[in-house]
Amino acid sequence: MPATPAANADTWVVVPTFNEATVVREVLAGLLAQFPNVVAVDDGSGDASSVEIIAAGARLVRHPINLGAGAAMETGLQFALLDPRARYFVTFDADGQHRVEDAVAMVDRLRCGDQDILLGSRFLGTSQGMPRSRRLMLKAARVFETIASGVSLTDAHNGLRAFNRSFAEKVRFRMRDMAHASEMLRLIGSTEARWAEHPVTILYTEYSRGKGQRSINSVNIAVDVWLNHLLEERKR
Amino acid sequence: MEPIKIVLVTAFLAILLWAFRHRRRVGLRAGTRLALLALTAFAIVSVIQPSITQAAARSLGVTRGTDLILYVLVVVFALTSAGLYFRCRDIQAQVADLARSMALRDAIVTDGAPGWRE
Repeated sequence: MPATPAANADTWVVVPTFNEATVVREVLAGLLAQFPNVVAVDDGSGDASSVEIIAAGARLVRHPINLGAGAAMETGLQFALLDPRARYFVTFDADGQHRVEDAVAMVDRLRCGDQDILLGSRFLGTSQGMPRSRRLMLKAARVFETIASGVSLTDAHNGLRAFNRSFAEKVRFRMRDMAHASEMLRLIGSTEARWAEHPVTILYTEYSRGKGQRSINSVNIAVDVWLNHLLEERKR
Repeated sequence: MEPIKIVLVTAFLAILLWAFRHRRRVGLRAGTRLALLALTAFAIVSVIQPSITQAAARSLGVTRGTDLILYVLVVVFALTSAGLYFRCRDIQAQVADLARSMALRDAIVTDGAPGWRE
């Protein structure tokens, strides 16, 4: 593990942020200790998230209106892609549920291995304090995603991912809300990217539990994903 | 419910889906306009001479002319709603693109392009 951020100068960390003013500064500070390039996309927050992002010393890109987590991630990636030295990209949630050392390990593995994308999996790693209902919902999501995308993951909705430039250039999200995780899998399936899962630890703090989406929202996601799949426009 | 109804409803949904997937086709847009014209003509005729709708309903196996008009209305409403929904999606995507380019421009104007610090 590199001791200085300079070792990760070829990497950009993208942190989609929506109303996370209470925690985002701490999360970004932890990232900046290992990664010199961190961009936080404030997705039209109503709180002081932008101020906190600037205070942390990360680059700020601010959506004038709320566009959803997938759109924020895409914006962050497009920003990072403007840096010609950027070779690796990490997506990292703003609520403090991921560990920076997992992100560092994933980038190191990308450098050595031949994968295009590594996806964090809490089921290969450990989860601290995961509620049982959440575990069940994620298992159900796995079955659904496998059918929808042909990519079988142990943890379909983990926000921690690391990938190379050629994959980052292909990322386009068209669905709102959390359905971007499903779109990501379909992108992996359709581009035949080389992928692997990486064990990560999720920290289920009181804060992240309160912020997490309600299980019933998975119904919305499922319907969105199928509808979008059906309605995909035939380009001619 | 007779099986024919299931067949008809399924066919209707399939046509809707096909129409959406090919919504940029010029021919389809022309078809929409022709259908609109035909519908307007039908409306005018049925106002002037209501017995015509009654006759049309009978020939189609519908009891009353008003029922026929109701069915046509349902179909037109469904198509209109679907059309608006699709247009909404397109506009949403356009707004997202617009907001994104604004956000990126603002960030670059304020602090420079990424990777230029240090």
